[in-house]
This record gives sequence, structure tokens and C-alpha cells, in this order.
Amino acid sequence: MRAPALEIKSLTKSFPQRELLRGVDLALAAGGSYVLTGDNGCGKTTLLRIVAGLETANGGMLRFRSATIDLGHYPEALRREVVYVHQQPYLFNTTIAHNIAYGLKMRGVPKRRRELLVEEAIVWAGVGHLGSVLPHKLSGGEKQRVALARAKVLNPGLLLLDEPTANLDNDARRQTLALIEALRHEDVTVMIASHDREIIAMPHVERLHLEAGHVRAL
Amino acid sequence: MELLEPTREAFRLLFTGDAELWRIIFISLNCSLAALLLIGPPSVALGFLIAKVAFPGRRALVVLVQALLSFPTVVIGLVIYMLLSRQGPLGFLKLLFTPEAIIVGYMVIAFPVLVVFTLSAVQGADPRVYETARSLGANRWRAALTTLFEVRFGVMAAVFNGFGRVVSEVGCAIMVGGNIDGLTRNIPTAIALETSKGEFAQGIALGFVLIVLALGVNIALSVLQGEGGMK
Repeated sequence: MRAPALEIKSLTKSFPQRELLRGVDLALAAGGSYVLTGDNGCGKTTLLRIVAGLETANGGMLRFRSATIDLGHYPEALRREVVYVHQQPYLFNTTIAHNIAYGLKMRGVPKRRRELLVEEAIVWAGVGHLGSVLPHKLSGGEKQRVALARAKVLNPGLLLLDEPTANLDNDARRQTLALIEALRHEDVTVMIASHDREIIAMPHVERLHLEAGHVRAL
Repeated sequence: MELLEPTREAFRLLFTGDAELWRIIFISLNCSLAALLLIGPPSVALGFLIAKVAFPGRRALVVLVQALLSFPTVVIGLVIYMLLSRQGPLGFLKLLFTPEAIIVGYMVIAFPVLVVFTLSAVQGADPRVYETARSLGANRWRAALTTLFEVRFGVMAAVFNGFGRVVSEVGCAIMVGGNIDGLTRNIPTAIALETSKGEFAQGIALGFVLIVLALGVNIALSVLQGEGGMK
């Protein structure tokens, strides 16, 4: 087994009315694909958001590539390794190419290299035909594919996908599933929170279940 | 009242390049744009901070800024006058009855417009904008700029509204500028003066310029928004 990309120990998260995560222990092998299942409201999104540094945990330990992360001060450098994609991804109000280039720009990738990578990502996601269409005119499936391309182009150490096929029609869902399947050929650790049976049934995906604030392998 | 002749004279003044008239227009634009340039960035930043960062007294600050919106500009002029007058605490700056004094007044007048409009635009922004930017590797500063870019039409509306408020303002400009010919006489103060003298031609010409400016600003906003502003 490859060394873990991410280790979580005794992670807790409470809200005023509710204790959501009661000591999550988890280890994700580098390059592995994982699907996290669980009832609605059990804390899947919260767990992903804590790992992405978008929410803070109350306690516990997080290690990424053997480096311990201070949960109170999520390191900026880690934001360049961990990419989170919302259930309904937000695309900036500009062209698709600019959307996909955004993260590369934040990482200081030179313009020429950026353009090349964006072009590859557009082809990978099959959104080349959308040209200069503005995001608010894209369908949910097209937005999801652009968001996946925008995340994948960064070659992240850990990619967190929150319900990527929720609320999509059959065609859009099929195309999104094909991209998720294609991610296995990239050297990226992927954790997907999902109820989608096809994602859960993917042969290369390891199944995790979040219940009563704890994660267990299925 | 005979209106036709003064109106004809007004257009003659405008289109023959009457030096006095165009100097007044220049002073108006110069003071308004300088004020917006100086107060715009800090006001937009403050509007963003109030919208995004929770801090003690935030609610009180919002109420205060909103209250400033409805302050009579003549009162703002009075306060600045007292501050800048020879006996005032800032009298040593010798700014009273200069274009700089008008600029200071305009900055105070535009400030709440810019803050409140920006605050409203950022509060209305989708929370996923900031999170998406952060998750794609943007630091706080870049994520804030990205959010402002996403609500750029709201921020532009703030700037254009601020411009509209100051370019047509008369009370503060008269008090702190003194309506000095060739120095601090601007469009609204000149209209007030000329009308009081019964000289309608220049007043009509300048009024026409104000209306064109107001229309121009709104057309510019609409063009800039284009399709992107309409979702």
C-alpha cells in the first residue's frame, strides 16, 4: 500500500444544536479513489470542507503527506494541494478558459504554459464547443465538467468532490461519471461524497461510510 | 417667462466652446473625479470588510454609514467649513475656498454611497465565490479581489452613483468652495448663481450638461454591464 496522502485522527465538529463529527479516523492512500457515503446531513460535506480548509474543526489531527496541519491556521500552501469542488460548482462570471486558468494563475504558472494546460483541460472535459459562452448560460452538467477540468488542471494532491452527480440529468450524469472514471488515470487522490450508486460501484473506488459521527470502511 | 431665447443662447454657448462655460464644466469634472479616485478604493475596501468580516460594532458602523447617506450635504459643508476655517483645527492647511476643499467635501459625500452600495453588492454575492477562489489556491487578498470582480457591476453602480451624487451637489460646494469664478465655480453652483441673477442661458446650458452626464453615466453602466449583468 502507498503512503497515506491524508490522515485524519479523532476529528470532531460540533454545531450549537448538534455534534456532527465525533472522532473521525481516516487514512487515504496517495493516488487512491474513495467514495464517502452516509445519510443526508450526516456530515459528509462538513468533513470535506474541513479537509479543504473552508471550515474549522473543534478538535483532532490532520496530516497531509506526513506534515501535521494546524487546524486553527490552515496553511496557505495546503490550499494549493487540496481542491474542493462544491455540489453545485460556482463558475466565475468570465469565459470557461479563464475559469480553468484561475488556479494556475494563483500558482504563478507562466502564461504560455497556462494556455497549453487550459487547452488540454478543455479537451479532457469535452467542453471545447462551449467557446466563449458565459457560465450562466451553461447547463448543470456543463458547469460540473468545467469545474472538474478547473480542479484537475491543478494536478492537486487531494481532490474533494461533493456530490458531483447530484441534480444532473442522465446525459450530464453519464458525462460527469466518465470524467470521474478518467481521474483514476491521473496521479491524484480523490475523495467523493456521494449517494450515486454508479460511483459507489466503481471497481477502483474504496468505500467509506460516515455514520453517527464516525467513518468506517465498507 | 421667455424660454426660447435663453435656451438658444445656452446651446450657442455650449457649441461655440464658450471658455467660461467649459471652465466651469472642467472644474466640476475635475473635483468630482478626483474625489472619487481618492475615496473610491478605501470605501470599496471598507464595504467589502463590513460585508465579509464579523467584528464588534459592525452593526453600529453599518447604521452610521447608512445615516451618513441621508445627511444634508449643506451640513457636511458646514462641518468641513468649520474644520477648515482659519480658527478651525485644520485652518493651517489653508484649504478653504479652494478646489481641494470641494474635493474633501465630495469625498465625504461620496463615501457612504460607495460603502453602502459595495456592502450591498458583496452581501448579495454567492458565498461560493470566495470559497471557490480560496479552494483554487487564492490567498485572502486575491479571493477578496475575485469576489469584487464577480460583483463588479454592483461596485460600478456604487462608483457611478457616487459620481452622480457629487457632480450635482450644490450646498457643500458653495460653502467650502465659495463659488469663486474660475477657481471653485462648478456646474451646480454656477446654475444657482446665474439663475438668482436672472441669467438663464448659462444655467440652461449647464443644466443640459448635467443631464447629459447623468444619462451618459447610466448608459456607460448599462454598456459595461452588457449581457454579464443580466442573469
